[in-house]
Amino acid sequence: MSTELKERHSYEQELPPFVRTWRQFYRLLIAWLVLLILLFYAFTVYFK
Amino acid sequence: MSTLDWAVLVVTLIVIVVYGIYKSRGEQNIHGYLLGNQSLPWYHVCLSVMATQASAITFLSAPGLAYSSGMSFVQFYFGVPLAMIVLCITFVPIFHRLKVYTAYEYLEQRFDLKTRALTAFLFLVQRGLSTGITIYAPSIILSTILDINTTYTTLFIGGLVVFYTVYGGTKAVSYTQMLQMSIIFCGLFAAGVMVVHLLPSDIGFVKAISIAGKMGRTNAIDLTFDLDNRYTLWTGLLGGFFLQLSYFGTDQSQVGRYLSGSSVGQSRLGLLMNGLVKIPMQFLILLIGVLVFTFYQYNKPPVFFNSFELNKLEKSAFKPQLDKLKIEYDRVHEEKELAVGKMNGALEKGDNVLINRERIILREADQHEKAVRKQVTDLMLKNDAHANTDDNNYVFLSFVTQYLPKGLIGLLIAIIFLASMGSTASALNSLASTTVVDIYKRLVKKDGSDREYLQASRLATVFWGVICIIMALYASKIGNLLEAVNILGSYIYGTILGVFLVAFYIRQVNGMAVFVGAICTQLVVVLLGWNEVVAYLWLNVIGCGLVILFSLIVQRLLLGRPDILKQ
Repeated sequence: MSTELKERHSYEQELPPFVRTWRQFYRLLIAWLVLLILLFYAFTVYFK
Repeated sequence: MSTLDWAVLVVTLIVIVVYGIYKSRGEQNIHGYLLGNQSLPWYHVCLSVMATQASAITFLSAPGLAYSSGMSFVQFYFGVPLAMIVLCITFVPIFHRLKVYTAYEYLEQRFDLKTRALTAFLFLVQRGLSTGITIYAPSIILSTILDINTTYTTLFIGGLVVFYTVYGGTKAVSYTQMLQMSIIFCGLFAAGVMVVHLLPSDIGFVKAISIAGKMGRTNAIDLTFDLDNRYTLWTGLLGGFFLQLSYFGTDQSQVGRYLSGSSVGQSRLGLLMNGLVKIPMQFLILLIGVLVFTFYQYNKPPVFFNSFELNKLEKSAFKPQLDKLKIEYDRVHEEKELAVGKMNGALEKGDNVLINRERIILREADQHEKAVRKQVTDLMLKNDAHANTDDNNYVFLSFVTQYLPKGLIGLLIAIIFLASMGSTASALNSLASTTVVDIYKRLVKKDGSDREYLQASRLATVFWGVICIIMALYASKIGNLLEAVNILGSYIYGTILGVFLVAFYIRQVNGMAVFVGAICTQLVVVLLGWNEVVAYLWLNVIGCGLVILFSLIVQRLLLGRPDILKQ
């Protein structure tokens, strides 16, 4: 196993249990941001 | 404040300071003092990063902003999750792999010494000035409680923070920040619960927000595309992204926090968790401000929240005019209270025609109240041309000290102290590390011993502490503190980020080209900002874009002059 692969394997082991790769975590964060914007928009419209 | 409040405040502060000193005990070297031996787990990194960004200003200004102009400020943080992703992909692995102490160290490896020195200098200027404002914010608290000038309270708090930071070092800063954030979360939750509890019995949580919403305070999202509007979805996503990326990627006060992570994975995890939590946390802080706003529709707020300035006016020759304005203010508030009652009834009936009618009346009353307050501040300026006429930072504080129960007041005051200590400690630590690693060690004494550099770091912390206290003494002349810090950052962050993006992604650009590009950009950004051509958040985007553009142009112009490129 090359050094780069070893490093990558080591990083992946440090992930939280709800994601398998860092890429999944990044996608989750973007989805979270979109959800928050939609919720805040609904909040703004509802209470206006 | 009652004896119980003082006891809570003093015990909390002592526990935190003693904990910090306990954790930093023992023999230290420069690696431990500046990077905490790179041994911290992800939750330390996350809380430390959050505590560094969430200064006392966050807890004083944000509810005040929500009170006076609504929740649109939350959009400012929309760039955080996106910035965290870019950081984790690019910045974190590179900084860890190269084992740098500061972000600017990397720039010498990629470009040259002058580019490293320039960015380090820009950072020192920006952070040095803004840390002064960070120290000034909590000094307002003691000023209000003890009814004395902020100059004395600034000197006292500044001295306390410097003392704690010099002995702290990075590891102690991170450990105390973890404890600080835990206390902060608990205190804010309690404050939110209490403000709802203090509302009239027929006004629940949802109705309180509805009333504030009818008066334009729940504007969390603004979709308009207006370059002059400071907080819209677009400025938040684009301008906010560039500002946050610059802040977290190139500001040593943040880079130093995640470089203390025990591995790339732990640093990444800490930053991504910050991306998950930051926006909801800021939303909740603003929501507390909105609830305080509704509370003051049923309880007459002071005509001016800064009691020190108001007392000064009351003791002046302008007292008769002030008394007249106070009578008018009382009358306006009674009208407003009546209109709020009618709005409450209309909301219960669900009658949209009535709701719209009451909304117009309420907004007019709100404008009338603001006009009376404006006349009061005009009087203050007539009495004293240097009077601080912006009381946004006093709104939440005034509510806490007047209406919250004993014990909780002390805890909330302690929170503001703790937040200030956390962010100021990080800032002083980063100013010291940049001064020693990027300037002293590189330009003044290249072959010093570890002990000498450790000593220099402690001296640098003291030096910057004194500078920041002097800056803090001038901060009272600046309006809203939170905005002042962000505006200052926007002048410089874009340029620094541009240099880093060129370093990471445009391999053909050389040191001389990026250096000239950065200097030209900084001049253009200062001119644009000074003349208020665009809202300040856009300066980050413009600054970053211009560095890339100018660097490419200069590189192309100098392509035929390899001798210049080598200099």
